[in-house]
Amino acid sequence: MSTTAGQRVFLRKASGLIKTASNTDVFIYDIGLVSIGLGLGFLLFFGPAVYLGGNLYVGTLLAGAAMLLIGLGMICWTVTIPRSGGIYNFGTRSMWPPLAFTLSFVEVSAWLFYGSFGAVYLTQLGIAPAVTTIGIVSNKPGIESLGADLAGKWPTFGIGAGALIVGAIILASGMRRFFFTQKVMFTIAVVGTLVFLGTLIATSRDEFVGSFNSLMGSRLDVGSDAYNGVISSASGAGWSDPGFDWKQTIFLANWAFLPLIGAAFSISIGGEIKQVTKGQTLGILGAIVGSVIVWVISFALVFRTMGSDFLGSVTYSNLNGVEGAGTPVTPFPTLLTGLGADSVALTILIALGFIGWIWLWIPTQILYPTRAIVAWSLDRVAPDALGKVNDRTHTPIPAIVLSLAGGIGFVAVLSFSTYFNLVIFIEVAVLAWAIVLLAGVFFPYRRKDIYEKSPIANKKIAGIPIMSVACGLGFIAAMLFYMNLFYDSFAAGHAWHSNYILIGWFVGGFVIYWVMWAWRRRQGVNVDLAFKEIPIE
Amino acid sequence: MLRKKDRGDEFTIFFATDVHGSTVCFKKFVGAAKFYGANVLILGGDVTGKMVVPISRQSDGSYVTAFAGKETRLEGDGEVSAFERRIADMGFYPKVMSEEEFQALRGDPEGQERLFESLIRERLEEWIEWARPRLTEQGVRCYAAPGNDDSFFVDELLGGSGVIELLEGRVVELDGLEVLSTGWSNETPWKTERECTEQDLRQRIMPMIEQLHEPQTAIFNIHVPPHGTVLDQCAELDEELRPVHKGGNPVMASAGSTAVRELIETYQPALGLHGHIHEGRGVARLGRTVCVNPGSNYSEGVLNGSLIKIAAKEVKDVHLTQG
Repeated sequence: MSTTAGQRVFLRKASGLIKTASNTDVFIYDIGLVSIGLGLGFLLFFGPAVYLGGNLYVGTLLAGAAMLLIGLGMICWTVTIPRSGGIYNFGTRSMWPPLAFTLSFVEVSAWLFYGSFGAVYLTQLGIAPAVTTIGIVSNKPGIESLGADLAGKWPTFGIGAGALIVGAIILASGMRRFFFTQKVMFTIAVVGTLVFLGTLIATSRDEFVGSFNSLMGSRLDVGSDAYNGVISSASGAGWSDPGFDWKQTIFLANWAFLPLIGAAFSISIGGEIKQVTKGQTLGILGAIVGSVIVWVISFALVFRTMGSDFLGSVTYSNLNGVEGAGTPVTPFPTLLTGLGADSVALTILIALGFIGWIWLWIPTQILYPTRAIVAWSLDRVAPDALGKVNDRTHTPIPAIVLSLAGGIGFVAVLSFSTYFNLVIFIEVAVLAWAIVLLAGVFFPYRRKDIYEKSPIANKKIAGIPIMSVACGLGFIAAMLFYMNLFYDSFAAGHAWHSNYILIGWFVGGFVIYWVMWAWRRRQGVNVDLAFKEIPIE
Repeated sequence: MLRKKDRGDEFTIFFATDVHGSTVCFKKFVGAAKFYGANVLILGGDVTGKMVVPISRQSDGSYVTAFAGKETRLEGDGEVSAFERRIADMGFYPKVMSEEEFQALRGDPEGQERLFESLIRERLEEWIEWARPRLTEQGVRCYAAPGNDDSFFVDELLGGSGVIELLEGRVVELDGLEVLSTGWSNETPWKTERECTEQDLRQRIMPMIEQLHEPQTAIFNIHVPPHGTVLDQCAELDEELRPVHKGGNPVMASAGSTAVRELIETYQPALGLHGHIHEGRGVARLGRTVCVNPGSNYSEGVLNGSLIKIAAKEVKDVHLTQG
């Protein structure tokens, strides 16, 4: 028997009574899934090139604020239903089972898409710019052209698919190996980011201009003062800085919002966090705030070192094919910082940092769908074979293989076609999260029996349960970003083919559910009863 | 879930486990037979709760207690009784006492032990009285076995209830199938009431196996799951019972019994019913044996269960439920 320190309860010897895990662990999990590097790459490339008049600082803060509201709503869900498996668990406790399954299916597809997205950008943002920069800095044309070749469709597909396969093999070989590689890559990512920031601090504007002119003057067709030549060419081709523009700033926020969603991914491991309220709050909110701080510092340093006009011009020129001003590969921060530093070693370290952040996404975005697929199988809404777990490795190999196949399919689509707008699936997933957050508004009233056991059950704001308030605000934030994506034709948009994808994915989820429902019915199994609460009579 | 009508020699077992004192989970367990159309109810081990939550009267008439790791103040009898109900549904034992009594008990392990025993007895007796008319009316057979967390007096309470048949340490026949049961587990870091070495566990189970006429059609109702399966995966703990994390992720490890695995692999019963590892919800096959652990979410008031359809002495279907 014991009285726990500082608490007013008595415990007896019983299994399962464990001390709390470090809240830092949840923070690392969440910030790893924000993929700070990918976010930085997108924001510093698409921001100045596409959203003329958009303000990176304001856009990022807007996305951070919205994600904080969504995060608060998700924290209420995960502390009330502290299970592993994410929104599938929340949905099955609060809504019509076919809808809960469909939302889970949509969400899982979206994260799988983003694992593939990361796999594609492993080459585009990490490897190709790094190899090109190494070739330029070391003046080795063969390496330089190899970098440009690597950015092509087939190498992008090959490296992306290969990365997914490696990620899947790591997952299939056991969770310990997965944890180990994630830890190594997280360390590499953090070190690379520190080197990136340090390089920017150590490089003055004059040094950057000097290095850029020296290395790119002969490679671009804009004169020996390549730095100013790029700005002139881009201005001649239509780039301008029209001053602060709210509309463009809000659209630009989509690119900060995309990676920030990862900050709430610890809802998928809710059952594995003992001090769930504190851990999830610090993990989710800390990851959002931490990422925003790193981005804001990076923007300031990049603008100081490179100049905002130059950054806008060089990215605009690349995206719009401005003659003579386009860099050999996409001018992501990896390329530009490496060129500014004029150092092979620093280029490699910076690139490894970005690659590390991107990698953190890849196996985890396979793991997330895999867990959901196993849960569907246990609930009989997916074939039994998909829930099978290997006896030796304890990993669900059929589910991993299915996720891998889907991921490679997405890599192919992203590499060889432009059919999918860049973040179309975020639009779909954000809608799914918005519906779950909306359900959270009513949960304290509809499922009082569960909610009253939540550690937040007694917390109210103006007499309204805190979960209703937080989920309500989260729902509004999610819907605002859904609309933001809907009207941003560059990121997602509402072209007919985008709408087809949106509708098709939801309809697909319902179709799968009903096909499984009918199949199980023939086996004498009523899937509908899986989550119905047993009445107490 | 199975259709509610029986088909020929088919029958359906509803198995739930690790309710850990949750009143709402126990009541759902009793109601599961009617709800799912099951013929037999089996309650796995770890029936009793782990924590007493004192609600101490203060000199100003209010009450101080703890909830979710925080000190909480309650005002009036209405709030106290609502809190007691909520705590009972979560599997804990609320106890109203004076602040002086609470302070005295804090330094009195033996007093705490006595308090636990009286509250556990009271809760089980309430449950049995609640279940009696319902099980009698439904005509459903209900079996229970203790788990490693349950004190030995639990056997006497369950066995003497008249409506729940105690399974511990013996073989009983269930529609032509033999069921052997034990709530003993291999050693745990918590040094619980019913745990022993792997060798001792094997020696506890073997005499029951020797009584079986057809081991290959038997049910092994053993609280601890077989080692190295999806049913026994839980967070790895360090020496201070803290979960081990790597890269921000909790590291999972096997905590099941090697002896149980060896016996199942050797004798290949039709079905293994397990619990113990709350996170280990799933179904695993060891050769021809189907092993089930429905897991537990008792603190949420959600009853995890499994519906097992048996026909011709074979497991035809297993469906995990969350009611």
